[in-house]
Amino acid sequence: MISIALDGVTKRYTKGEHVLTPLENVSLEIASGDFFVLLGPSGSGKTTLLNLLAAIDRPDAGRVIVGGTDLAKLPSGRLASWRSEHVGYVFQQANLVPVLTAYENVELPLWLFPMSRAERHRRVSLALEAVGLLERAAHLPRQLSGGQEQRVAIARAIVADPPLIVADEPTGNLDHESADGVLTLLSRLNVERGKTIVMVTHDPRAAARGTRRMQLDKGQLLDLQPAGTP
Amino acid sequence: MKLARLIAKNLKRRPMRTLLTLLGVASAMLLFVLVESLSAGLDRAMGGTEAARTLVVYRQNRYCPQTSFLPESYVERIRKIPGVVSALPVKVFLNNCRASLDLVTFQGAPAEELLRARPVQVLEGDAARFVRDADAALVGRAFAARKGLRVGDSFRFGNITVKVAGIFSSAEPVEEDVVMTHLEFLQRAGPVNRLGTVTQFEVKIDDAARAKEIAAAIDDQFRTAQEPTDTRAKLAFLESATRDLREILGFARWLGIGCVAVVLALVANTVLMSSQERVREFGVFRTLGFREQHIAFLVLGEALILALGGSALGLGAAQLIVETSHVSIGSEGVSVGFRIVPALALRVALVAGAAGALAGLYPALRSASRPVVAALREA
Repeated sequence: MISIALDGVTKRYTKGEHVLTPLENVSLEIASGDFFVLLGPSGSGKTTLLNLLAAIDRPDAGRVIVGGTDLAKLPSGRLASWRSEHVGYVFQQANLVPVLTAYENVELPLWLFPMSRAERHRRVSLALEAVGLLERAAHLPRQLSGGQEQRVAIARAIVADPPLIVADEPTGNLDHESADGVLTLLSRLNVERGKTIVMVTHDPRAAARGTRRMQLDKGQLLDLQPAGTP
Repeated sequence: MKLARLIAKNLKRRPMRTLLTLLGVASAMLLFVLVESLSAGLDRAMGGTEAARTLVVYRQNRYCPQTSFLPESYVERIRKIPGVVSALPVKVFLNNCRASLDLVTFQGAPAEELLRARPVQVLEGDAARFVRDADAALVGRAFAARKGLRVGDSFRFGNITVKVAGIFSSAEPVEEDVVMTHLEFLQRAGPVNRLGTVTQFEVKIDDAARAKEIAAAIDDQFRTAQEPTDTRAKLAFLESATRDLREILGFARWLGIGCVAVVLALVANTVLMSSQERVREFGVFRTLGFREQHIAFLVLGEALILALGGSALGLGAAQLIVETSHVSIGSEGVSVGFRIVPALALRVALVAGAAGALAGLYPALRSASRPVVAALREA
């Protein structure tokens, strides 16, 4: 279980001669165990915010505190360790390593932990079972469908049992049926395993799965009605 | 270990590119190894144990062994000079005076004296038969290997036909590439009967420190004779005989350095392409918690495997060529073989490792230092 707090966060990018500010003085709190959905048009800064939460980017101003840790204060090496222990990242594209089997792709994050081979095997099997792809463990990514690849990516995100799962438009490249399967999987992780989930999407159907929704536009956050609330 | 497995799998991602790179590296390192093995052979030729205590007496102003004719009778006068332990009259017949890839050298001397004077060990065959039969020959093992000769074989070269009575090894490496025959047999063998003349005298002395003094004493003996002599330490003679080879080798060394540069360029090109294709993948690795050094290790490892793997192939190919062809380069009757020794293999590994590390350094640093978000944005 992990809670998140953004306090006055600003992030700028330089693109040629232009300075873009996707996030400006943004503050936000996400409670532990939330299925938080962030909506917004393309280029609104959703992925930027997600990257800050996942500790793969740093803010230019403000603080990002996840699970009580001020991420800005961690040096690069410790930040990497922190990521491996606390965050599972699901990308829009599965981003699997093409030369590794589904099993090996899921196993990747566990390489960073001192762990016996048997324990790694147990965890990878559990993760693949959770996404319903244990029988596809020996398949290479090119032998899987898009939906199956994304489920393997989710297995990779949960195999180290991180308390926070961030998902950047995880159904963006999937057909309706596959998208439903992935969203159901994320909901189950939230409900059954108590994972805090932060998902970026611009798909209203995907957003409906969240327990809390916010809109990001022009660098500002707008609280939306929680999904399912009349 | 797990990352090493990943490196191996990555190399299979584009098998044709990996194969071509390995073959390119292997070809370049094959040339490098051959150049270095000739250098090792040359060092070995100079490394005999007896060279310092041996003088070689030639005809003054000779062009090559074929043009040195000295009266055989000089041997008695040489033996009487203080400091001389023994003197061996030797007739030399060879097929080429200048640098040659197929040098054939016959050396004829009184058989029993020859066996006493030369530090040879008969490995196969019979030394007694060599002493007994006028047309018998003892063949150096390097020459026997090069020509595929065995005991009992007949070997013909020009007007000379000898029967192989034995195959020998020698403490003097250059002698392992010669055919030793009886003196009189060789004197009669040429188109002109040269009975009573020899090419050179090999003089053993009691003290290597006195070599210069004894050489001068020998030349003084024959200063006013019809055939004046030129006496030098064997080592100096070997150095003089192999001067051409050394000059060629000096140039070939530049080719060797060029080969290493080719290895560097090939590996750098492949690894750079490979790492550029995987920018996004490295971003994913970093997102999963892998550190900069893990990424650098993946890229550097790939460069090292390509450089070391290709070099191992090149070394193996060079070994095969040297073992099967028994090729050697000779000059003035001195033959130098290609030698691939463990020290050379180690040097090849070090050079390949250094080239691989250098080739992989830039791509590794570039891949490792790219910000995660920038890497993930790559198409």
